[in-house]
Amino acid sequence: MVLVSDTNIRDTVHATNRVAAELEEWQLTFGQGPSVDAFAVGGPVLVVDLRASEYSKIWPVFTPAALDSGARAVFALPIQIGAIRLGVLHLHRTRPGALSARELADALAYADAAGALLLDEAAGIQPDTIDLAWQQDDPTAHYAEVHQATGMILIQLQSSAETAFARLRAYAYAHERRLGDVARDVISRRLRFAPDPPSGDHHEE
Amino acid sequence: MHKRLMVEAFIELADTLVDEFDVVEFLQQVTVRCAQVLNVSAVGVLLADQRGALRVVAASTEETRLLELLQLHTNQGPCPECYRTGTPVSVADLSAVASRWPRFVAEARQIGFASVHALPMRLRTDVIGTLNLFGERPGALDADVLRLGQALTDVATIGILQARTIRHHETLAEQLQTALNSRVIIEQAKGVISERHRVDMDQAFQLLRNTARTGNRRLSELARAVVEGSETL
Repeated sequence: MVLVSDTNIRDTVHATNRVAAELEEWQLTFGQGPSVDAFAVGGPVLVVDLRASEYSKIWPVFTPAALDSGARAVFALPIQIGAIRLGVLHLHRTRPGALSARELADALAYADAAGALLLDEAAGIQPDTIDLAWQQDDPTAHYAEVHQATGMILIQLQSSAETAFARLRAYAYAHERRLGDVARDVISRRLRFAPDPPSGDHHEE
Repeated sequence: MHKRLMVEAFIELADTLVDEFDVVEFLQQVTVRCAQVLNVSAVGVLLADQRGALRVVAASTEETRLLELLQLHTNQGPCPECYRTGTPVSVADLSAVASRWPRFVAEARQIGFASVHALPMRLRTDVIGTLNLFGERPGALDADVLRLGQALTDVATIGILQARTIRHHETLAEQLQTALNSRVIIEQAKGVISERHRVDMDQAFQLLRNTARTGNRRLSELARAVVEGSETL
């Protein structure tokens, strides 16, 4: 898994084994590869077999290096919420083969969970798996209003979208409310967020 | 069915598919054309998020109530039923299915809809989403209209596959995820514009889309620039 800065892939935060670490290392060094493209495009990059001829053209330096490391299939999933780009979850296989629908669903869910943890960390919430499960179960979490509210809050805070969304989540968490319900309060202008609240609380009218 | 509108719709959509285009904007274009050609009041597209849920990605009107109706009923109702079965679900009169889908029917009728026709977006063996037609009067759509609706739905499916990003071997999964994320960026941008200009979400969307069209920009690229603050409208 790699984390990103505003415009670039920044650093490998975790790798499960040597091959995974090397794959990220090559991409950081060469500035090319599936994670780099997934980040740029804003969507997954799924490579069933790196030996397919096109990949030596698309990533002329990364592909031979990755094959040398022992990877045959690579899957890069952006950790993102709209314009908020947090990182890339990068999986590989030592044999060629596509992810099944079930495996893809699991991988996407892991990327979502990683995103939630990164946002909580940014908002100063101690992440824990029970809370995470609770958040993942919130049926309102994907409502359009949540993303609209994020846009409004970033103007109120004069912050990044990432900070705005992290604050929205922190507020819902602290008040034990569903994300979509808090978002509706923001949209109907019953709730405003203030920059750097002294007590961590937000002004509610 | 209006022949001239139908011809125009297919020419316009085919023209779009030839060049680089924005998936969400293309799907929105399909919904608007569907509403005109099939003579229904509103059209919405739901796509599978590949985690087991359906998400709203485009609608003929950004009127919040339609989007809410679609996003609230991604588990029960004619649209998810169509997705699960992969076959069209036609509800000629919503009041007749009130006991089957009570909440969906109540909310749809409150908005003023009397009929719903959900068409599957099929790709070989996969169903990737549904295109949903909402009418203000009860009544079945005749067979020709439904066939035309399915043809427009298929154009929407092809469009999702066809959208090019930076490489040329995109898979369906890659395209779907990118389209769904583009929709989220547009929602975030609507929020930014709404707060900055003190307008509602519908007006915010109009402003965003008009600016993109005037400047010949991709909708989701402009939306991203607005959210990232590199551009103000």
